[in-house]
Amino acid sequence: MSLFGSLSVSASGMDAQRTRAEILAENLANAETTRTPQGGPYRRKDVVFASTTVDSPFDSEFQSALDGQGVKVASVSVDQRDPEKRYLPGHPDADADGYVAFPRINPAEDMVDLMNASRGYQANVAAISAVKDMIQRSLDILK
Amino acid sequence: MLDGLSSKLEQYLDTLSARQKLVARNIANADTPGYKTQDIDFQSELGRAAGSAPSVIEPEGLPTKNDGNNVNLDHQARLLAENDIRFNIATQLIRGNIHELREAITEGRNS
Repeated sequence: MSLFGSLSVSASGMDAQRTRAEILAENLANAETTRTPQGGPYRRKDVVFASTTVDSPFDSEFQSALDGQGVKVASVSVDQRDPEKRYLPGHPDADADGYVAFPRINPAEDMVDLMNASRGYQANVAAISAVKDMIQRSLDILK
Repeated sequence: MLDGLSSKLEQYLDTLSARQKLVARNIANADTPGYKTQDIDFQSELGRAAGSAPSVIEPEGLPTKNDGNNVNLDHQARLLAENDIRFNIATQLIRGNIHELREAITEGRNS
């Protein structure tokens, strides 16, 4: 049983939460974006997490049920709902009736998710430092 | 290792690091839909034969969120701290054992 595997697991958690935070920041930045390269307004993105096995330094030596099961971003889902229509006749992107398609983004929702991602990241960091302590203690046995 | 006590302690450390791995796994998967909390049954683990791998259980009765995930981050943080302290105690005890042995070898002169 090696403690090093736990480090890989927590690192995968940090990686996944950071990706999630990046996507959420993108949503917030583009909350009012009406033009995208694909055409139409920006669409909200969200991440889907899935459990996965992670590589640890001694993986092949100690294959067991306890092997590192970390997390990964399985996919990034794009909001398929119709955009929100706002009546702005003077806007360059307004349609014939004077309505502009805006992204369906609720900043409050993204902020709450962002806080969640940040807490998740912190929890993974705490796990890494606890494991680091344990490894250090094991080394101290022979001092 | 040194004697019966030390080998028990060694096994205890083994179980603790296995548990630590599960806690790390639970924390990493705190937002994974459908993921279920995993843990080790300490009572039965301490009776298991040395060298065999600890068995993983999924604790029952934890409140499940809408996405089917039942990881409680606060509970895992508690286990993290608890594990750390238990590990600390066990390593201190092993150190004590080794210290005694060294004392005997050096006839109490060097330490």
